Amino acid sequence: MKDFRSLRRAGAWVVMSILAVTQLYPLVWLLLYSFKTNSEITSGQFFALPKEWVWQNYSDAFTSGNYLKYIGNSIFVTGVTLVLTIVFSGMVSYAITRFKWRYGNLVMLVFMIGIMIPIQSTLLPLMVIFKNMDILNTHASIIIPYVAFSLPIAVFILSGFMRSIPTEIEESAMIDGANIYRIFFGIILPIIVPPIMTVTILTFISIWNEYIIAATFLSSDSLKTLPFGLNSFVGQYTANYGAIGAFLVLGALPVVIVYFILSDKITKGMVAGAVKG
Amino acid sequence: MNGVLRVGKWTLAVFVLPCLLFYLAFVFAPILVSVYYSFVEWAGMGAQKFVGFENFKVLLTQDPIFWPSVLRTLYISVASLLQIPIAIVVAILLSRYVRRPNFLVSSYFLPVILSVVVIGQLWKSIYNPASLGGMINQMLVKFGLESWTRTWLADSELAIFALCVVILWQFIGYHVLIQFTGVQNISTDIYEAASIDGADGFKADRYITLPLLSPVIKISTVLAVIGSLKAFDLIVVMTGGGPANTTEVISTHMYFMTFNSFKYGYGSAISTFLVIFCLVMTVLLNMAFKRAEEAAS
Repeated sequence: MKDFRSLRRAGAWVVMSILAVTQLYPLVWLLLYSFKTNSEITSGQFFALPKEWVWQNYSDAFTSGNYLKYIGNSIFVTGVTLVLTIVFSGMVSYAITRFKWRYGNLVMLVFMIGIMIPIQSTLLPLMVIFKNMDILNTHASIIIPYVAFSLPIAVFILSGFMRSIPTEIEESAMIDGANIYRIFFGIILPIIVPPIMTVTILTFISIWNEYIIAATFLSSDSLKTLPFGLNSFVGQYTANYGAIGAFLVLGALPVVIVYFILSDKITKGMVAGAVKG
Repeated sequence: MNGVLRVGKWTLAVFVLPCLLFYLAFVFAPILVSVYYSFVEWAGMGAQKFVGFENFKVLLTQDPIFWPSVLRTLYISVASLLQIPIAIVVAILLSRYVRRPNFLVSSYFLPVILSVVVIGQLWKSIYNPASLGGMINQMLVKFGLESWTRTWLADSELAIFALCVVILWQFIGYHVLIQFTGVQNISTDIYEAASIDGADGFKADRYITLPLLSPVIKISTVLAVIGSLKAFDLIVVMTGGGPANTTEVISTHMYFMTFNSFKYGYGSAISTFLVIFCLVMTVLLNMAFKRAEEAAS
């Protein structure tokens, strides 16, 4: 009986380890690849460490790829999107869950329909609209759809949380003479920090990584976000494998660093987002 | 009635209108505009010519790429459902045999947070021919299976399969995490009570874990189906719909018709179909869940 149990335990570990290796090995392979010379990459040694660590690949990627510029653009675009999404969705969720008015449920429904709308279907109309507004090929042309499509899930998560806050808090504040803006910014906002974290994480991951909208609405190299810049770089340097690998590693690096620092918060936030979405 | 606070019209407007108008203008209005475009013939410049249902007629009856792309969209959805049973098994093993599961869970989850560009380009390198450094083909050569080597993404029969592997690889960690959270939320008392009654191991999993996991299984199913509609970006990055249109899905077909062939009216017809398709899928999923719940109770 005891043997049988340890056999089962061993089997379980084998299954779990196989999955871990499958998930991690491609990333480790990429890391090694990024330090190899072209001839070493094509020689068929897929498992070996680089004979010499070729930092040249990284300096190639760095100098010819505008890496820092792309990172700067991504930080700016993601940052503005996050702030607008949270302010907008916070205020509208508060109105939906707390104010006495006739159309609260209707507004909620309108936002919930948005969860099901495929973003790709709006690309052409948005392009025409942005052309007429004369903002095509500016950061505004990607921030606007980013915010618009982050709103439904944000409203959903925030209003779900706000419903659970007892109304007595606000009623007593009202009696003390605080106006609604004081109540919202002074009392409610501090309480809803945890769901705001969830919204921040979900929005950060999807906007930081977004490719199609950026590639459709931007054309100047100096405006590109990291995923778009990365893809253009790879398209240009098709034969310099090591440099491609290096640029991919650099492209993955910011989000991986964030993940190492906040992994617990990120996994919890993503699960919370999924469970509520 | 939801709320309790009585506020003036102006306050209400300040809280609701900026967000609502912004959202309506950039999510809802474009969809309506897109429906309108689907009834015209237009190449972006010059006049729009109203053609009635002509775009839809061509799309549904004459377009050789369209119906295969619809089937392929469904195929990817079904293939990504494969993640769920694997995730459930791994989640149960994790909770039963691992005292500190954080490292394993994090390593499963890592691909989920990477950009589709990183994933797509990484796997393009992995699928490369051995002579260009491709990992899979080099492995096959190493193990003496040279005859198995393929140009995975350039092979019209294998490319869609190769894409599905990448989708599974990227999202399996998400499903493991969701199921693992679900398993952990099941109270240990239930298992203790069951073990007194003689239900251990697989029996306990079959009669306790699985039924209690059904809400999270539902979440995973929805995510897998939605995720497969998002396969769009991955396909654009990895194959561009090729070789010979064998990896086209509805959304890539729409994108390439619109932005590469400049058939704005026709592309919008596909986009209108896509919106309806997504809404119908959502309704069908909900109906299926309702029926499953009724059958279970």
